Amino acid sequence: MNELLTNFVTLNASLLSVAISFFLFGYIFLDKFKPLKFELFEWFPDPQIVFEFYLDGLSGVMMVLICTLSLVIQLFSTSYMSKDEKYTKYFEYFNFFVFSMLLLVLSGNFLVMFFGWELVGLSSYLLISFWSEKKSASKAGNKAFILNRIGDFGFLIGLMMILNYFETFNFLSIFENTLKTRPENLDLMILFLLLGAFGKSAQFPLFSWLPDAMEGPTPASALIHAATMVTAGVFMLVRISPLLQFSEIGSITIISLGLLTALISAFAAINQDDIKKVLAYSTISQLGFMFIAIGAGAYVAAIFHLVTHAFFKALLFLGAGAVIHEMHHEQNIYKMGGLRKKMPVTAAMMGIGTLAISGIPPLAGFWSKDEILASVFSKGGIYYGFWALSLLAALMTAFYMGRHWLLIFVKEPSNELDSVNEAPKNMTRPLILLGLFSIFIGFINTPFFHGLEKVLHETLYNVEVTHLPKGITLAVLAFLSIGAGFTGLALAYLIYIFDIFGYFKIKIPFLKQIKKLSKDVLNLNKIGNLIFVKGMKSLSRKVAVSVDGMTIDGFINGVARSFLKSSQQISYSQTGLVRSYVVYFGLFMLALILVFLFSPGVLL
Amino acid sequence: MSLGKERPMIEVTSDWYLTLSAILFSIGFLGMMIRKNALIMFMCIELMLNAVNLTFITASNHLGLVDGQIAVFFVLVVAAAEVVVGLAIIVSIFKKQESASVDMLSSSKG
Repeated sequence: MNELLTNFVTLNASLLSVAISFFLFGYIFLDKFKPLKFELFEWFPDPQIVFEFYLDGLSGVMMVLICTLSLVIQLFSTSYMSKDEKYTKYFEYFNFFVFSMLLLVLSGNFLVMFFGWELVGLSSYLLISFWSEKKSASKAGNKAFILNRIGDFGFLIGLMMILNYFETFNFLSIFENTLKTRPENLDLMILFLLLGAFGKSAQFPLFSWLPDAMEGPTPASALIHAATMVTAGVFMLVRISPLLQFSEIGSITIISLGLLTALISAFAAINQDDIKKVLAYSTISQLGFMFIAIGAGAYVAAIFHLVTHAFFKALLFLGAGAVIHEMHHEQNIYKMGGLRKKMPVTAAMMGIGTLAISGIPPLAGFWSKDEILASVFSKGGIYYGFWALSLLAALMTAFYMGRHWLLIFVKEPSNELDSVNEAPKNMTRPLILLGLFSIFIGFINTPFFHGLEKVLHETLYNVEVTHLPKGITLAVLAFLSIGAGFTGLALAYLIYIFDIFGYFKIKIPFLKQIKKLSKDVLNLNKIGNLIFVKGMKSLSRKVAVSVDGMTIDGFINGVARSFLKSSQQISYSQTGLVRSYVVYFGLFMLALILVFLFSPGVLL
Repeated sequence: MSLGKERPMIEVTSDWYLTLSAILFSIGFLGMMIRKNALIMFMCIELMLNAVNLTFITASNHLGLVDGQIAVFFVLVVAAAEVVVGLAIIVSIFKKQESASVDMLSSSKG
């Protein structure tokens, strides 16, 4: 198969799926987002589980998002992946992912969802270790798969608890009965489902696979590890929001771990060298924002941020891909610099992405991030603290994204970069398209026009949603978050371009240590390695020696040895003297006769 | 025959036969235990078999049933067959070790 045939098949198929997704979205739009149900076949008879699909506002938004982005990113890939030996295979895996993700978001019950959930894990694994001849790539694939497995294990237990309490997997019948049959262990069930969401969406304890997943082809990272698959956890939590709203512990866990993730990964993103790793940590941080929104009960804000983030993060990743492509697979941002003259379109588009993620109005990121922050604030009480820390994370976001863009495009280049040119048209066109989206997509849900809220209205009809504060409070909050964005960008400019520390000869204590800590992600990888890998290894070695070697082998060998010994002892009674056997025989007969005589009825 | 009328007749009851049988069996068993010669031991076995035969016949007579006598025939047949085999074994033992002592046949002791 040559590249042209592959392009023909994959692009036309994607175009068709975009058309169908828009048609279906339009269909439910005209029907005021009444859910559309479709039952394919009966899967298991008792309790009855049907292979069914379910299309409401939530899955509609996800469907349109996935199809659109996959088309744009595949267009980019045709140029990025060209002349790769496994060109066709790449598109096979890519479309397999799109299929799995659509199965996940369109599922009508938890089992079908789990099916898609596992398939996206598989396709993610295949794409991360796509260049499997590289050892680091195959290792990264394994890491992603295994860490996801931990999360999926929790998800599976959650599903078993759901089946136990509700005796069905169907979303509608569960959500309609949440009040009637509130399970007694709701918190536990939510926590297990949360583990699944945390694994898939790379949140705090299970996040270290995502930076490693950058070993995969960059366009695949853009779609899977930035825009869609990693948001599956967010999607799932919004889907179960009718249950989630009753679990106080669940919400608090989500918001605190989401906040922790947002802060840690924002801190880690500040001093990464790799152009993609910065974006990976940024993705984790933004996912943390979505979890904060869910924890605060602002489900619409979470989905809103999911949508806007998908566009500007895909834009940033594709921009990074274009840079990597033109830099001949050089990924160290300190070896770049001054690229805005060589690659003006890419620089402009990535600039838009950077402004969007930093929360500069009127770009997409501002509206969604501000909605999250304002919703957290409006909950009051302890949530003021959460709000303040989220604002700090937003400031850090602007700072590291500013640094990222400035180091690549503005800083004086350290070495000559003559061979670098603007990316080919097939790369810049998707960038421009995504750039436009990153500017305008925010207007689907502003404080003046609640578009997305209307879309999700049916999905969240019996869910208590946190609303935005009104009037002056909202304006002040918006002002503060804009301030945080500008401050972050300005700090990045002052430190990395203007070199303010060098200019005023300021020495910051422990700067080196802080930088190293940021680069090593607070040593969390090392700690995890120490506890889980080394600990598990030494524990299993101990178990191998003590339990297997000494106990089990000892028992088996002991039995064998005792038989050998006792049989040797017994064999001594075989004297070989016929006359002694006669004596034994007589004695035995005598004993038998005595038994018969003195205890009638025992043997007869 | 007047002699017989004068003295009260001693009736030979089943007890007598059983006692005789027990004595014969004990002699046979004792012989088995204390003699080394395989041929003598073989004769002791025959003695024990016939003691049992006597018991069978006594019981048959006492109860008026023929079952015991039938059993005796079986025992006799088995004993006859056994004699053939047993004597052949004894002859081969004798050929091998120039003696019929069973105590020397202890090669399979534990």
